[in-house]
Amino acid sequence: LKSENRLGSYGLRALVAGVLLTISQPLIYLFIRASEKSSQEILALLSRQKTLEVLGLTLLLLVIVVCVNVFLGTAIAAGLHYVKIPYPRLLLVSTVLPLAIPSYVFTYTWKAIFPALEGIWAAAFILSLSTMPYMILAVSISFQRIDSGIIEVARTLGLSKISVFNRVILPQVRRSISAGALLSGLYVLSDFGAVSLLNVETLTVSIQNLFKSSYDRGAASVIGILLFFAAAIFVLFESILKGRDFESRGAEGFQEQIRRIKNSALSALTILVIALYGFLAVVIPFYVLISRYLQNPGIVAFSDLFSAAISTVSVAGLGAFIAFILSLPLALLATQGPSAFAAISGKVILISHALPGVVVGLALVSFGSRLGPLYQSAFLLAFAYAVLFLAKSVASTTAALTSVSPHLKEVAATLGKSKSGIAMQVVFPIALPNLALGVLLVFLTAMKELPATLMLRPTGMDTLATEIWSYAAISRFNEAAPYALLLVIIAAIPTFILTIPRTAKNEIEQKVRYL
Amino acid sequence: LKKSWIAAGVAFAALILGGVSWVVSGPDNSGGQVKELTIYSGRSEEFIAPFFANWEQESGIKLNVRYGDSAELAAQILEEGSNSPADLFLSQDAGSLGAVSIAGLFTKLPTGTGAQIEDIYIAGDRSWIGVTGRARVFAYNPQAVTLLPQSVSDLTKPAYKARVGIAPSNASFQAFVTALITEKGATFAENWLKAMKDNGAQIYLKNSAIVEAIDKGEIDLGLVNHYYTWEVSQALGRDIKVENGFFAPGDIGNLVNVSGVGIMATSEKQQAALDLINYLTSEVAQAKFVKDTHEYSLIPGSKAPASLPELKSIGSPKVDLASLEKVQATQDLLTKVGLL
Repeated sequence: LKSENRLGSYGLRALVAGVLLTISQPLIYLFIRASEKSSQEILALLSRQKTLEVLGLTLLLLVIVVCVNVFLGTAIAAGLHYVKIPYPRLLLVSTVLPLAIPSYVFTYTWKAIFPALEGIWAAAFILSLSTMPYMILAVSISFQRIDSGIIEVARTLGLSKISVFNRVILPQVRRSISAGALLSGLYVLSDFGAVSLLNVETLTVSIQNLFKSSYDRGAASVIGILLFFAAAIFVLFESILKGRDFESRGAEGFQEQIRRIKNSALSALTILVIALYGFLAVVIPFYVLISRYLQNPGIVAFSDLFSAAISTVSVAGLGAFIAFILSLPLALLATQGPSAFAAISGKVILISHALPGVVVGLALVSFGSRLGPLYQSAFLLAFAYAVLFLAKSVASTTAALTSVSPHLKEVAATLGKSKSGIAMQVVFPIALPNLALGVLLVFLTAMKELPATLMLRPTGMDTLATEIWSYAAISRFNEAAPYALLLVIIAAIPTFILTIPRTAKNEIEQKVRYL
Repeated sequence: LKKSWIAAGVAFAALILGGVSWVVSGPDNSGGQVKELTIYSGRSEEFIAPFFANWEQESGIKLNVRYGDSAELAAQILEEGSNSPADLFLSQDAGSLGAVSIAGLFTKLPTGTGAQIEDIYIAGDRSWIGVTGRARVFAYNPQAVTLLPQSVSDLTKPAYKARVGIAPSNASFQAFVTALITEKGATFAENWLKAMKDNGAQIYLKNSAIVEAIDKGEIDLGLVNHYYTWEVSQALGRDIKVENGFFAPGDIGNLVNVSGVGIMATSEKQQAALDLINYLTSEVAQAKFVKDTHEYSLIPGSKAPASLPELKSIGSPKVDLASLEKVQATQDLLTKVGLL
């Protein structure tokens, strides 16, 4: 039995290595292109003042956005969870809804009201608004998982509410805060839409400019590799900061209705902050899009909207499905306990998440154009989405599978279940809702993707994102508005599903059924 | 519960596969007769699609059009190399055509192609041919500007302090600076850019933003392509307080750039592709460009777009358009001066 397990484990590792190789294509492409340059040229490019300035600006933006997220995002999530407020569900939805708005649409709508908006502070503002939901969502989910029994114990031991939060709750959600910071930081590194519209030259904009202006793919690739290393350092830094794993008691802990703090001043403050965030990040974009649309309703044919929506949903859906399949071996590996191989695999995937769409697009153009009919097919575009957003899928898939308590697996083992039996009958059923969330997250992000879509879509196929782009390119914002509105509304559906609470009660029921 | 999840997954997959196959109808190239042609178009769908539709009707050949940004499509073609599915590349500017041409990916066009087009708007090696003319102008508010500049050098004088808008990150401005470097040398170009910056030139992202800013009264003049006053007025659905002005004949500020087209060397449908080029450069299509997109026809002696002088009378500088591909030096200069 033991040798069989070992064999299975080697097979799994081979699968994981295959997935890593597949998604490393953009990186391989960057190294091939960069190697066309001589080492002097590379050194000159890396050490010129412009490159250093761009790198500095990118890192500054990253730090600002991550800090805002860590403090404000955690505070909002805590308010949503522990302060007595009316309609907590509705407020949660309104703080997560900005996920449905692509960063370029976000920026367009803000610039429609404040045309002078530009520069690093504007970019920090817009990117903080659009990445906050990642933090709120990550932290909220882990608040839901905290064993309220511990909180009760701490309270009976005489700790004040604030000490309970600082000493009992925060340490348990530290990993989630860290994960939220990671997601928003990688988002900042790879974002092109917001920064380019706000005239801020980050590494991504530099790469795009070099590709566009000089057709110098070697130079662009050198900067691409620089971006890769910046992301690598950020990911390693995060894994050091988040510290030791807090042992997950997860769902087996005792969860009763959370006792919310009843304090009118605190409630008012919480509502005010959330309302302000909702106003800036949801009301303003929607207001601009709707008013633009109403200025000239019916300007866009319904059939065009419909076919663009169908294309968007089906290709993004296929991409999410492929990402899910690719994430399974990695998640399974993670359930077999910590190992160096699993840790490194996870890091590689996270780091490649920072590569911008234009790099992944061009890499797949380079490899894909040799594939005959597969090139510029919906499948290759979907595959590009999977490569771009695999990290999102892996993160939630792994979280889903590792959230299953080891004790539970031990119990199953003593009941005579085999390793694969445990995986199929215990781990998967419990993790399934979270696995679905990973698919949703990729689906949601893929619908908003633009640069790779432009390069890889089947010739003649329009998605909502490409239609927005084509009208915005000639300043026809009224025509772009219905497409943007439809995209945001469709993306709001998976966003809404993301906020549905998954209660421990559900999970316990499932466990009982499958044991 | 497990079964219901699997069922949901299967339904989801079926829905997606169905959607994908509904979206993608496979290309059909059976038989010797050319039925389809693939064109990468850097010109926006809104303005060029009617021309394509006309040709499809005339020729009976279906066009698969891939829309994108000219420079990005050029980069994509360079990456695809000999595997490119494109038969033609239609670009907004000469620079992107130049990049593809230097890589040797265009075929040499036979001498009869686009015979009416003036020679200076065709690449020296006949790798591409101009389709429409796009003049650089100064857009201005006639009520605010009484003393019109005669040369781009005038714009650095105190009379225009903080009144001029430019778009240094935009491809059309960079093409102009490239021409400036080619014609007058890098030192001259650097001094001019510095002087513009010191004279308080306002920075915008796009030509259209400059025209809008003049209309709003934020600035009084701006360096743009000629058709943006028309385009912005169309987009806003009203008249605007902006007119086009030309510098003295021969000034580099009157550069005429072109949108143009070339045929990929790898295309197996050369004849059909040539036919499309002949249509785009025909009298009928050229007149339609003038009327519908407010660009210049490149046929000598043809009518100018409404309220604009004839192409000949602009006195555009003699610049080799193929040289506009060298944008890297321009970007480095703009960066050095601090405008990028």
